Amino acid sequence: MSTASESPVIKRDLRLDFFRGLALFCIFIDHIPNNIVAQFTFQSLMFADAAEVFILISGYTAGMVYGRAMERQGFLIAALRIYHRVWQLYVAHIFLFMIFMATMAYTAGALNTSLYAEEFRAANFLNEPGLAVVKALTLQFQPAFMDILPLYIVLLAVLPLVVTGYRSWPTVVIFASMSVWLAVQIDKRIALAAYPGPDQYWFFNPFAWQALFFLGAWFGWRANHGGVSWLDRRWLFYLAAGLSLAGFLIRFSWTLHDFYDPIPVFASGELLWPLLSKGNLGFLRFANVLALALLVSRLIHPQAGFLASRAARPFVICGRNSLHIFCLGILLSVLGQLVLNEFFGGILMQLAVSAAGIAIMIGVAAFMAWFDAAQQTSGGVVGGTMTGRGARR
Amino acid sequence: MTPGFFRYVILITVITATGFGFVPVSGHALDQAHECPMPERFYGFEPPLTKTIKALATGRNVVIAVIGGSSTQGRAAGANALAWPARLGSVLSDRFPSAHIKVVNRAVPRQTAKQVLERLDRDILPLKPNLVIWETGTMEAVRGADVDAFRDTVRTGIEELRDAGIEVVLMNMQFSRETDAMIYFEPYLTAMRQVADANEVPLFRRHGIMRYWAESGFLDLRVREDEKRRELAVKLYDCIGRAMADFLTHGSGDSAAKPGSGR
Repeated sequence: MSTASESPVIKRDLRLDFFRGLALFCIFIDHIPNNIVAQFTFQSLMFADAAEVFILISGYTAGMVYGRAMERQGFLIAALRIYHRVWQLYVAHIFLFMIFMATMAYTAGALNTSLYAEEFRAANFLNEPGLAVVKALTLQFQPAFMDILPLYIVLLAVLPLVVTGYRSWPTVVIFASMSVWLAVQIDKRIALAAYPGPDQYWFFNPFAWQALFFLGAWFGWRANHGGVSWLDRRWLFYLAAGLSLAGFLIRFSWTLHDFYDPIPVFASGELLWPLLSKGNLGFLRFANVLALALLVSRLIHPQAGFLASRAARPFVICGRNSLHIFCLGILLSVLGQLVLNEFFGGILMQLAVSAAGIAIMIGVAAFMAWFDAAQQTSGGVVGGTMTGRGARR
Repeated sequence: MTPGFFRYVILITVITATGFGFVPVSGHALDQAHECPMPERFYGFEPPLTKTIKALATGRNVVIAVIGGSSTQGRAAGANALAWPARLGSVLSDRFPSAHIKVVNRAVPRQTAKQVLERLDRDILPLKPNLVIWETGTMEAVRGADVDAFRDTVRTGIEELRDAGIEVVLMNMQFSRETDAMIYFEPYLTAMRQVADANEVPLFRRHGIMRYWAESGFLDLRVREDEKRRELAVKLYDCIGRAMADFLTHGSGDSAAKPGSGR
């Protein structure tokens, strides 16, 4: 799994680890309803949110790491490594599903079924658990919070072909990928069906989100070959800066308006809604995350002093163990909401729950980093297959 | 948990619910007007319903049509007169004795906003209501339906009603710790807030208000015994009705002088 010994000359791009870690913290916080801290994550400062950041960075990392593997080890080995990762994601997804089943079975039993007759139907799938389990195994059953891993799984599963395409006809592949995204924007019926139906679809439409992931993968793959020269154009930088600023001003005015109603908004949400679909990766979300990524890549050096400092360490280690920390974050969101609804306690409690969750995420990531290092120095398992962490794949 | 267990639970629920339908309920308990606290943040910034308030104040005929699901139909309380729309009607009649107020409950359980939209024509418009209160969002959240489509549907419904000269109030979902753990309400709550805000439609934040009642200990939503559950439903629906009466009329009379109300 490790690439450290294969490429001693290539320095880690710490920005990837740092921002992926930041996105993981945001995903945890955003998934706790009634949490004041969620007013200060990506989602309240830009049109996109942590999901876009996570998928873009994951695409970039995958394109870079597996692109390199494809050139050095050949298609078969690289594809097998990708599918090993797919398998890990799949197992993690099933693990989260088990937790979901347990939560549902337990709470449905305690529910006041006369007062909450309609709500009780959310547990209807427990009447046919066999079918529900099969649909979870086929990735068609995607309860809340269990929608991003299936997306990641299908995107990675197609990656070997896409990276192969990048080696021969990069323009054709990028064009095809963008065309499919555009088609989804025009015709919303292009979607994957989900359980229990009949009007249910994958929350993250893979036909739309593939564009972000594979564009990221292309940039990552190009990074092995000196980067993309036109990204350095001056006007592109100003365009990205303008877009990010406009996105920030409009989105943040909505956040403030939510806080205190008389504060006016810069642009009516209603006008922009068609461009802001999360499931279909609307144009503004797509453009905003790309613009921000361009700014970051131009303004922050891959090995910037800050990124290597102790203060950035918690973000970096979480970003490096992204799969485990992601699953942990989802679990902690569910627990955090239970705690907030059980004890309430206002803003102080929300701050405490958010801080505790992030502390646990950092603690577990630090433990995994320590365990990996200990194994490597003792010459034990070479390559730390125990954790199989994200950016090192 | 076996499927059999759930069928058993549903069967028992249906039997007891039907049984309660025959129990005569005295209105006495409700007359001891208990306060149902509702902090100002739940109505302070909502746009006032000028036409409805005027009709109430000038003592005309006022028809309020209510659309919604099970929680609006109110079977959990055991009688139609105990559902929150009926309670709203009697509270309003007490407050505006000169007006002829009719609250029509057109709730149908388990309908999505889209199904409601399809029946607005034949079910609601012929009533010629001054005001429609639309309780929605539960089935969408339960099914995990497309949020964007839900928001568009609600917006279309609002437009259709307004084109007919009807004022509209939206009401969001119920709260309980258990349902919050089972269902991800947040995106649908946000969508309703957005559509209400963009269209200047008052939004009755039932989810937040019930959460507030649970938090302050005013309501114990967790009672287990059947009889206590029915009492809870009666008290809850009564309070929703009273809170709704306060909510609808907050722009009228002395409350209009409060700083910050209206916009």
